[in-house]
Amino acid sequence: MNQISTFERIVRGLLIALVLLFFLFPIFWILLMSFQTNEQILRIPPSLFFEPTLQNYVALLTGRLQTAAGNLDIAFMRNLGNSLLLSTSSVLLALALGVPAAYAFARYKFRLGESIAFTLLSFRFAPPLLVLLPLSLFFRQLHLTDTYIGLIWVYQLICLPLILWIVRGYFEDISPDIEHAYRISGHGWWKTFRKIAIPLARPGIAAAGLLAFIFAWNNFIFALILASASKQPVTVGALAFVTASGIQYGQIAAAIVLSVTPTLLLALYAQRYLVEGLSLGAVKG
Amino acid sequence: MAQLALGNVSKTYRPRGKEQVQAVKRVSLDVKDGEIVALLGSSGCGKTSMLRMIAGFEEVTEGTIRIGGKEIHNLPPAQRDVAMAFEGYSLYPPLKVRENIGFALLRERGASADIEKRVSHIAELLEITDILDRYPTVISAGQQQRTSLARALIRRAPVSLLDEPMSQLEPQLRAILRARLKDYLIEHKMTTVFVTHDQTEAIALADRIAVMEKGELQQFGTPAEIKQSPSNLFVASFIGEPPMNIFDAAIASEGNAVAISGLGPNGEPAFRLNAPMEAANGKRVCLGIRPHLIEIGANGSADATGRVITNHWLGDQSHICFEIGGCSVVGVTDKPIDARAGDALPVRFPLGAVHLFDAESGRALAHGLGQR
Amino acid sequence: MTSLELRNVSKGFKSGKVLDDVSLSVTAGEIVVVFGPSGTGKTVLLRMIAGVHYPDTGTIAIDGEDVTEASPEARGVGMAFQNFALFPHFSTFENIASPLEARETPASKVKEQVGAIARMLKIDHVLGHAPRELSNGQKQRTALARALVAQPKVLLLDDPLRNVDAKLRYEMRMELPRLLRTFNAAVIYVTQDYKEAMALGDRIAVLRNGRIEQWAMPTTVYREPVSIEVARLFGDPTINLLPCKLEMNGAGGQVTVFGRRVPISGAYAHAVGRDLVAGLRPEHVVVTETEAPDAMQFDLDAVMPVNVRSVLYLRGAAGEELLATVSESESARFGRGQRKVWVRFAPGDLLLFDAASGQRIAPQVH
Repeated sequence: MNQISTFERIVRGLLIALVLLFFLFPIFWILLMSFQTNEQILRIPPSLFFEPTLQNYVALLTGRLQTAAGNLDIAFMRNLGNSLLLSTSSVLLALALGVPAAYAFARYKFRLGESIAFTLLSFRFAPPLLVLLPLSLFFRQLHLTDTYIGLIWVYQLICLPLILWIVRGYFEDISPDIEHAYRISGHGWWKTFRKIAIPLARPGIAAAGLLAFIFAWNNFIFALILASASKQPVTVGALAFVTASGIQYGQIAAAIVLSVTPTLLLALYAQRYLVEGLSLGAVKG
Repeated sequence: MAQLALGNVSKTYRPRGKEQVQAVKRVSLDVKDGEIVALLGSSGCGKTSMLRMIAGFEEVTEGTIRIGGKEIHNLPPAQRDVAMAFEGYSLYPPLKVRENIGFALLRERGASADIEKRVSHIAELLEITDILDRYPTVISAGQQQRTSLARALIRRAPVSLLDEPMSQLEPQLRAILRARLKDYLIEHKMTTVFVTHDQTEAIALADRIAVMEKGELQQFGTPAEIKQSPSNLFVASFIGEPPMNIFDAAIASEGNAVAISGLGPNGEPAFRLNAPMEAANGKRVCLGIRPHLIEIGANGSADATGRVITNHWLGDQSHICFEIGGCSVVGVTDKPIDARAGDALPVRFPLGAVHLFDAESGRALAHGLGQR
Repeated sequence: MTSLELRNVSKGFKSGKVLDDVSLSVTAGEIVVVFGPSGTGKTVLLRMIAGVHYPDTGTIAIDGEDVTEASPEARGVGMAFQNFALFPHFSTFENIASPLEARETPASKVKEQVGAIARMLKIDHVLGHAPRELSNGQKQRTALARALVAQPKVLLLDDPLRNVDAKLRYEMRMELPRLLRTFNAAVIYVTQDYKEAMALGDRIAVLRNGRIEQWAMPTTVYREPVSIEVARLFGDPTINLLPCKLEMNGAGGQVTVFGRRVPISGAYAHAVGRDLVAGLRPEHVVVTETEAPDAMQFDLDAVMPVNVRSVLYLRGAAGEELLATVSESESARFGRGQRKVWVRFAPGDLLLFDAASGQRIAPQVH
């Protein structure tokens, strides 16, 4: 009854292949597109065979886009830098605020605690456009429009709830007795937080930080409305490839490849924390 | 009801990407008609795998299982004529306790008045009468376990299989429910196999006990046989509360008798017994004696003097831990003994109660050494 | 000297009152067992002494100093948890050393003290291991070592033997008193196992429904339980409870049990007219195969061997149930059961309880 028949094995393999094809093909196609010229991409019927060109990447890195209609300056590298700056600082800020808050929500029951936690989560429910209209007015008043600080602040709407709720779950999974034992040993609450709670929740914190980074990185609408070209991240910057003379598919594909790379590397690096997070259960108790 | 026979049954698990595990190794077991048999062992010894193979939830890798002479190990569970109480209870959540218990009888198309009667009888037996109309989710773990037990017992199936039937029981109910359960099984001549890790439960309920360890059957016998002549060191130390005292010992012949020296932690002799027997000189053995059979405070012919470490009176018996030449020894008496930590007590090891085991293989060499 | 004193401590949570007016005192070197079935507030009591919970009313004093409001790190107590609560990311050594580290003990001294206690508890060979590499027994010893290493004045042990196997539990039960004596701490030991309570406790506090029902020496709790519930909690098999009637004639009295009159001491005269329940410990029931004067006939339905004794399941003519404990040599005669036997008992062994309140009725000597 526990034995798997050959037939079952084949069917399972086929199904997995189908799923993989469905999810991985677009990525594969984009990778191919990034090495093709616009003409190659648009030819009919499309072909897997072509002469690869680095022209798209060169254009992005040098910031000069040559089109049929003439040369165009693009700020892709600057956008990439903005993305890195915005996402990293937003996540760091959210961690600094969110981890202690998550700990408080997990460990202490206080008045309106649940309501506050839920309100923070509800920021994620609101359609961003609804929030943006009043926000853009406030930002103008506060002179925060088109500043990094303003953007990082808005990005907390994305990062903070995520970190708060994921990390809270991890803190709740740590047996309070472990912390009690440390305090009874004679250590204060701050040291207990640093030496016991944080290290034990580290896999959770890493996972939440990673997710928050990806969400922040992928955000489009906030920066589109609240920032000008010089402060915009890649997601908005990619709009520049929709030019008057046509859509630069090759460069878009190259831009996507370049902008996906940092998050991909980060995810690969953090994978071991995520696995550690899953096996932590065996250590507890 | 029916007899059950396991012939050379083995179970091998082959998890993918991991080494295969032989959970049960060539176990043969004959359960007589109406007999109550316990499968006893610590977790991971293969006892639950055995039960699940009899029930039909696990495939038999090798060997045969027969109920009433009929080979059943290739039949689906429903056709095997077995009833089972699960360790995880597995009650049907949408049904009331009453309906859970009567469920199997419904399938057998019994008259509903008859079912009612049997349900209320078994409920009374297991003290769940007052929760019959509640749902499994709102009753305690102990009550769920009793419900699951009732559901299996009510069928009076040819073979009943009970997986840890009383592990969650409230301690105050344990003795009386064990008594009623045993009475019920005997009265209805039910062939029963139950799994337990608790040796007191196995001894209390079973006609015969199969002691398992590492997938192998260590010994299969009546509680008295297992207590009085354990086949090896494992069985000897697993059965009995408090556990048997076991010492390293050396044998030396002196004329037509031998001297057995119990050895302390550093190999020096702690005490000496003289026994009329023949044995190889200098042989390393393990000497075992059950705490209840040590004579404490014996006058005259003491074998050793014990220095008391702790002395506990538990209301109906004393548990005394004392030290003889570096070995700690536990003794139990039915009467309170007036001794405090540090006191010296004369101690006698009756030769008839001494067990000898081979120090290497653990195999039993002798049970009782004759009289002085 | 009293090292720990709880005065009129009460505590409630949202779900209701957990502890109600609990007072308790423990002197240095004494082991007090807090015993009770699960859900009676034992753990909450311990946590209040540790400072993890705070009482709603009442005071807690350690060494005469009021610590009711003090935070856990300021109390200097040692505690071992039922689930061990080891720090999973620390080694065994670091786990044990953590109370010393908090007291800013020099490193050489830490090493020496941790080594000493680890040797005492036979875990010195696993000091470098992480908790997940330890067996349950070693985890439990590590937790105990951590609680003891700083030589606290008050030691709290929360059912420390619950999660170790039977054999180890028994060994520790024999070993613990000697170990604890060397530390001379005031020990509160929480357990659900009455044998552990009787073996380890100098005094026992029986906790039920948040109140201390009895506070006495172990033998007193066993012999003179204050109520039916306490009598039921102590003893295996559980005490037999029999409905009975009490009458007085002249100096002596008579109880009617199983429809048979038995003479009883006149000291129970004050209980005449009340609804009574008689308690009879299984070891006080005498079972014979032949008729004896004053003996009653019972059906022997099942025999259950327990160690060197056997528990007999007996049923009277009207279906009354009775459990009796007999020695192994006797039990061999009864076989598998299913026969008729004769039962008697000494009336002096009966404990009388008020049926309505459950309180024991003590004989009154004038």
